[in-house]
Amino acid sequence: MTLFVQVTLDGLLTGLLYALVATGLSLIWGVMDVINFAHGEYLMVAMYVSYWLGFLMNIDPLFSWIGAAVFVFILAALTYKLIIKFTVGKSALSALLATFGLSMVLKNTALYNFSPNFRLLSDTILGGKRFLIGDIVIPLPQVVIGIFAVVVVGTLFWLIKRTRLGWAIQATALNKQAAELMGINTEWIYTLVFGLGGACCGIAGGLLPSYLAVHPEVGSLFSLIAFVIVALGGFGSIPGAFLAALMIGLVEAYSGFYIAPVFKYVAVFGIYIVVVMFRPRGLFGW
Amino acid sequence: MRKFLAIAVVAALVLGALGGVAAAQDKVIKLGTLYPLTGPCATAGQRCKAAVMTAVEVINNAHPDLDVPLAAQEGVMDGYKFELVHADTQGKPNVGKSEAERLFNQEGVWAILGSYNSAVTKPASFVAERKGKIFMCGCSSSAALTERNFKHFFRIAPTDKTESHEFVTFMDWVNEKYDADIETVGLIYENTEFGKHAAEEGKAAADEAGYEVVADVAFSPGATTMDSEVQSLKAADPDVVFGACLGGDYTLWVRTMKKMNWLPKMSLNYCTGYQDPMIAKQLGDDGNYFMGGTGYSPQFADLMPAVAAVEEIYKEITEPSVPFDSDSIKEAAAMFVLAQAIEKAGELDHDKVAKTLHSNTWEAPLTLSGEVAFVPGGQNELAMSYLTQLQGGDYKIIYPPEVANAELVYPMVPWEER
Repeated sequence: MTLFVQVTLDGLLTGLLYALVATGLSLIWGVMDVINFAHGEYLMVAMYVSYWLGFLMNIDPLFSWIGAAVFVFILAALTYKLIIKFTVGKSALSALLATFGLSMVLKNTALYNFSPNFRLLSDTILGGKRFLIGDIVIPLPQVVIGIFAVVVVGTLFWLIKRTRLGWAIQATALNKQAAELMGINTEWIYTLVFGLGGACCGIAGGLLPSYLAVHPEVGSLFSLIAFVIVALGGFGSIPGAFLAALMIGLVEAYSGFYIAPVFKYVAVFGIYIVVVMFRPRGLFGW
Repeated sequence: MRKFLAIAVVAALVLGALGGVAAAQDKVIKLGTLYPLTGPCATAGQRCKAAVMTAVEVINNAHPDLDVPLAAQEGVMDGYKFELVHADTQGKPNVGKSEAERLFNQEGVWAILGSYNSAVTKPASFVAERKGKIFMCGCSSSAALTERNFKHFFRIAPTDKTESHEFVTFMDWVNEKYDADIETVGLIYENTEFGKHAAEEGKAAADEAGYEVVADVAFSPGATTMDSEVQSLKAADPDVVFGACLGGDYTLWVRTMKKMNWLPKMSLNYCTGYQDPMIAKQLGDDGNYFMGGTGYSPQFADLMPAVAAVEEIYKEITEPSVPFDSDSIKEAAAMFVLAQAIEKAGELDHDKVAKTLHSNTWEAPLTLSGEVAFVPGGQNELAMSYLTQLQGGDYKIIYPPEVANAELVYPMVPWEER
């Protein structure tokens, strides 16, 4: 029983991390119909920002996530202004290819500037910390990321559903021309949405160096899992992405422990194939 | 007539000069290097590349102060110099294979050195064998590589089979000397050619020696978490873990064990992240008390006196400047052995050089045994490593006892007591 609870807890905590990464992707996808292939690289950039703030200025990831989130917010907003803006209204493939190109640029820029070496922050505030309830280990870094995930996703959901800004974002997502006729500055909304989507990823990336090594390829698998989550949750549905992330985390943990660790990503991507086949709009999509 | 003579003399000089250039160009032996310069094992790949560059620098130019083969002269075969063409495998077998083909077909290299990951070395060396060209492998450790009976494949490193036997012999010794009561073994390994073969050999050696294998955990390299992997080990709670995890996976494994508050009594690692001094340094105290087979570390200086001077050149090439590690030094040793064989064969016929490699014992001061000799299939039968334990960030030799420079810390110090 203890083992089951431990595995469930591990799955939920992993799911919360995935939720933080995937929510931004879902937001961008839902509002703008843009598949952001550079999402994993935003995570990587955030991890580097957090790492360098820690390495050079001794700022712990517990605080440097703010810098990482702001940096990636600006990076994502610029992505819209300099790249995505020119693909709006054109074939969906053009935005997809543009962000794929951006992911290559970001990855290779990191390779060129920081080399492919793994970088690890030692002695972080959260690193290796845990508390015990009986035999159940509760790892502090993951718990903190989980709390951030709940707060960020909750705030984003509240923002979209309960504020005038959120209504403007929804209106823009539903009908850009009509929103403009109502006086909504859709250009500004798009920039903000891209920035917010990136910032969610930036927060996750800013906290991750507490226990995960930083390198130019680190975002790739996170990016793929985020796509699975968004497809599973329903395109553009923030609660959908949140619940789907928890499901994926649990699937990964249960299949990894009760079948075989090497099987866990097979199960995750297997679910994606099943969902795409039988419910392409996702479990919570409309 | 005078004008004609002048033109003839100038023409002769020009032709002579061109001929000289042509002759100089002909005296080049192009070699390909095939390492993971990007991707999850890039740190190790970059160092392996720098190690071959170091060896070529020593061989191509006169370094009479160095006590390694061919250092005193310039090049081989009376003036032939080596030129390296580097290729990146990204740690992927398909990329390694196509890059091997490109190196031979388009770059026209004479032989290839590489390629760190056993999974890459396997198909890449198949390309070389099919072409009848030499593939010189420094540190890939899968025993399967030298069990194919290839004629042109040579490997300097000990295999996972050798290391697995070393591990169980060591465990017997620990049981005897420390009354350690080691009975069970767990395996954790990346799901690749290297990891799977290491695990197979580890399991076979443990079974043969009477240890029970209670956990067999394969994982996908580059995983986002290793919770399930460590949880599976923790549930089985083996006394000793045999690990085959590279680069970032190794750091995640160690940190996840800390997170889960679990350690085996002893952790023995194949040529993995454990052997990377940079990773050991970054892990800090968390990296201590892990163990593994080690072919070189700066703490071995007294045992391998010729290394220090060569290492100075290596340190200038690497960025950031680092000493040799257990893997990279084998790639340098491989280059020195290949160059000696070409020198001794006296020609560039691949079959002749391969035959020469097989039929001689080579001076190899950059290896622990000091010599290299190949058996059919290309395995260096003199390959050896020592078992080390990271203590205070240093690789201390623990076994065999006659060369040990530190006492074993057993069991590993629990996380909360560090």
